[in-house]
Amino acid sequence: MKTIETEVIIIGGGATGCGVLRDCTLRGIKAVLIEKNDIASGTTGRNHGLLHSGARYAVKDLESATECIQENRILKKIAWHCIEPTGGLFVTLPEDDPTYHNRLLEACKFAGIDAKEISVKKALEIEPNLNPNILSAIWVPDGTIDPFRLASANILDSVERGAFVFTHTEVERIMLKQNQVAGVQCYDKVAKEYFEVYAPIIVNASGVWGQHLCSTAGIELKMFPSKGSMVIIDYRINNVVVNRCRVPSDGDIIVPGDTVSLIGTTSRKIPYDKIEELVVDDDEIDVLLADGEKLIPNVSKARVLRAYCGVRPLVAVSGEMDGREISRGVVLIDHKERDNVQGLITIAGGKLMTYRLMAQMTTDLVAKRLENKNRCLTHKIPLPGSEKRVGYTKKIKYFSGIPNSVVGSTHYRHGERVHNILSLQKRNYGLICECEMVTLGEVEYAIKNLKVKDLVDLRRRTRIGMGPCQGELCAYRAAGLFTEFGEFTPDTSTKLLKDFLEERFKGMKPVLWGDGLREFEFTYWIYQGLFGLGLVEEEQ
Amino acid sequence: MKFDCIIIGGGISGLTAGIRCVKEGMHTAIISSGMSALHFSSGSIDVLGYLNNKVVYKPFEAIDTLTGTIAQHPYTKCGKPLIIEALQFFKQECETQNLYLYDNENINHFHVTALGTLKPTYFSQRSVFNEDVYNRFKKMKKIVIVNFEGYRDFHPQLAASQLKKQALFANCQIVAKSIEMPRLQDLTKHPHEFRSIDIARIFEDKENVYTIADAIRLAAEGADFVVIPAFMGIHNFNEIHNVMQSRTRLLIYEVPTLPPSILGLRIDNALKSRFAQLGGVYIAGDKVVRADYTNDVVQAVYTANHPENPLEAKFYILSTGSFFSGGMVSEFNNMYEPVFKLKLHYEPERSKWYSPQFFYSNSHPFLEYGVVTDENLRPYDSKDNIIQNVYCSGAILAHYNPIREGCGSGVAIGTAYKAANQIVSLYKLMR
Repeated sequence: MKTIETEVIIIGGGATGCGVLRDCTLRGIKAVLIEKNDIASGTTGRNHGLLHSGARYAVKDLESATECIQENRILKKIAWHCIEPTGGLFVTLPEDDPTYHNRLLEACKFAGIDAKEISVKKALEIEPNLNPNILSAIWVPDGTIDPFRLASANILDSVERGAFVFTHTEVERIMLKQNQVAGVQCYDKVAKEYFEVYAPIIVNASGVWGQHLCSTAGIELKMFPSKGSMVIIDYRINNVVVNRCRVPSDGDIIVPGDTVSLIGTTSRKIPYDKIEELVVDDDEIDVLLADGEKLIPNVSKARVLRAYCGVRPLVAVSGEMDGREISRGVVLIDHKERDNVQGLITIAGGKLMTYRLMAQMTTDLVAKRLENKNRCLTHKIPLPGSEKRVGYTKKIKYFSGIPNSVVGSTHYRHGERVHNILSLQKRNYGLICECEMVTLGEVEYAIKNLKVKDLVDLRRRTRIGMGPCQGELCAYRAAGLFTEFGEFTPDTSTKLLKDFLEERFKGMKPVLWGDGLREFEFTYWIYQGLFGLGLVEEEQ
Repeated sequence: MKFDCIIIGGGISGLTAGIRCVKEGMHTAIISSGMSALHFSSGSIDVLGYLNNKVVYKPFEAIDTLTGTIAQHPYTKCGKPLIIEALQFFKQECETQNLYLYDNENINHFHVTALGTLKPTYFSQRSVFNEDVYNRFKKMKKIVIVNFEGYRDFHPQLAASQLKKQALFANCQIVAKSIEMPRLQDLTKHPHEFRSIDIARIFEDKENVYTIADAIRLAAEGADFVVIPAFMGIHNFNEIHNVMQSRTRLLIYEVPTLPPSILGLRIDNALKSRFAQLGGVYIAGDKVVRADYTNDVVQAVYTANHPENPLEAKFYILSTGSFFSGGMVSEFNNMYEPVFKLKLHYEPERSKWYSPQFFYSNSHPFLEYGVVTDENLRPYDSKDNIIQNVYCSGAILAHYNPIREGCGSGVAIGTAYKAANQIVSLYKLMR
């Protein structure tokens, strides 16, 4: 059996785990990250992608609001290629409590969030699709952030600086030596082999899955899973984030993201044993669409592309509380003090926005234990892709000959790394995914450099199959490229294709009506009727 | 405008019905809203490929079983003799346009898919399957699957590997190769973004066919069979196939690709030109939006482009297809048929429309939803009255699953023929 020795083992490849890996690496601490699925495949990749200004928390949770605005400013510097600084609006509907408007303005001022009241007319100029009956509007520095790119950029930087990352690898258990952690036993689900990693420090950054993980070390850590559901609508119907100006509740935000818009979010508590089989309920979709329509009336005319849900990793501090009542603050646990298990650290709670800060807090503790004196640098050193901020007109000039739209979207997704992706060879910039303008070169780059082990991973790195057609044609096109660019047999590629379609179908099922049903019928005709893909397994 | 028969929907079913009507001297119009499902079909005609999730070898024997068990199935309403007659009719009508279909005397044959799986079918174009496959099959040692460099919609390695798994090909060497497209430098479009149709157009130039044939001969030396994506011409496909085979001295076969389907396009062209040749009126790019009734008889229909001008006919055939083609519309918790608001068979609860997985042994329930008809394929209105002069055919019909049963085109042709037959005999009586 393979064994690896290192200084820190990080369990969980969400934003926080990826952030801890990078922070450790930048401080010269040897680290290994282990993720049971793919980078950003859990809660990190299942939120609404809002770059919080903090305004949403300002009234109720000042601490979170302050953290948000600080991180908002940092991320715009170190991760600009994962961010769209769209700005955002808080709008008051005729049915809402009109006093919340002033309370929000007041609280933002207190938290240091640059919020200002604007006229309804101005708000409608900024966002013409907005409900014209709104009573008032506030402008805030909200934006959007792509959690997949953000997590992946953290990984890429760490790996380039010498860290090790194992995805699709499950930690079977934490090994202890008396009251000190010794390492972890892992199972690589792709290679189908066991291996062990030894280190004096283990960081549990596995979010809601931490309850089970800690139990393997005999520690009780009670998580409080809260499900949040969202729907994605076809086409980007708004250009800035639109928030409803009221006490946070279901269906009160519409976030634009790349080529689509997203209505969020519900909040429902769920039993821990159901976290692997979450489904979006029909009535959640009713609520999201009905409330979304109040903010932007066009919502009812748009096609719903898919629905999905994530689990908030809230740590139950005491008793049973509602999902929104429980603190969303950061929880950092040194299990040496809590459970007398030396070397185990849990980082949980918080939010995508504060991933870097959480990583910093965690790594500070790690460094202290390892007697490493180096300071945190993650707020200063830009992520790969964000090294230089060069406008896309310059890139278009540089890659003259390649269609602007291709250069633009590649640059949008990968920042400066566009130079590692695009070349003037015609085949390189031929499109594989036409909805999202993903080229063959980008697929090749992702398969070779970004820890892509299946088509779903590829989707997270490139947005392939995330557009209106949900991978109808590009799924097959990309599947074959796994054989060409990676170490995948043709049969594996065919299996990846099947898995990918199953994965996409999960998010389509709850919203399978109208054009969505038509699109699905077409996709089913192609893959089952024309290709007989469903026959493949039966024959084996 | 006045017609004897108006057919709403210009897919394989509407065209088949149209040809049948116009051949009997009826003044017939087809109103088509756009490209039909033929454009993403395999281009083979499946009659019955699966029954109870088992492969069907003898479709007409299986139809006996099926009609004996499922009373509502469109095939039960057609009856076996009529289905056989309809298929022969279809084959002969295609032949008038030089589109020749191979069939194996009442037994299904298997065509190869782009993924290398095998699908049972009844008719195939001769460039997809013919007698030579059987004659040479036993001695076969090597198959070469050829793709064009940079063509995104076909991966020969995937097909080769899957095909190798089929028992029939177990002792055979299967190799994937790729060749360059000819005269790439002349092309203004990005050659790595070509779709099947762009390449099929290249084949329409004789010089290019020679160049391609020579490249294939080199790439496929020693092969008993050569498989290429279905590219070999949109119009001159017979000639192109002959030239390709004689110049390479190899047997060359086509596999259907991702859409647009060149094989489907050929059928579409053949049926359309046959319909026009016989004097049918094909109204393209328009959509029927409403109808006038007197009691339970439709008097006229109106289209989106001509909302004020009634299109009148004695008979109507509704062949508007399934959800994808717009024949039925699904909403949040509801389904309807948009032209005549016909009675539909479907489950009101949305969560029952689909199965838990994409690939599910029992396929998806919504594919069996559709218009409910009497045994003569006449539909019911929302008050449960039969509409006297409307008939339905093809994918809009309920109570069958075209994909699970592998019977989409068979039902389209059979029910079209049945609907047209009844109209024709009533029309003759009236005269």
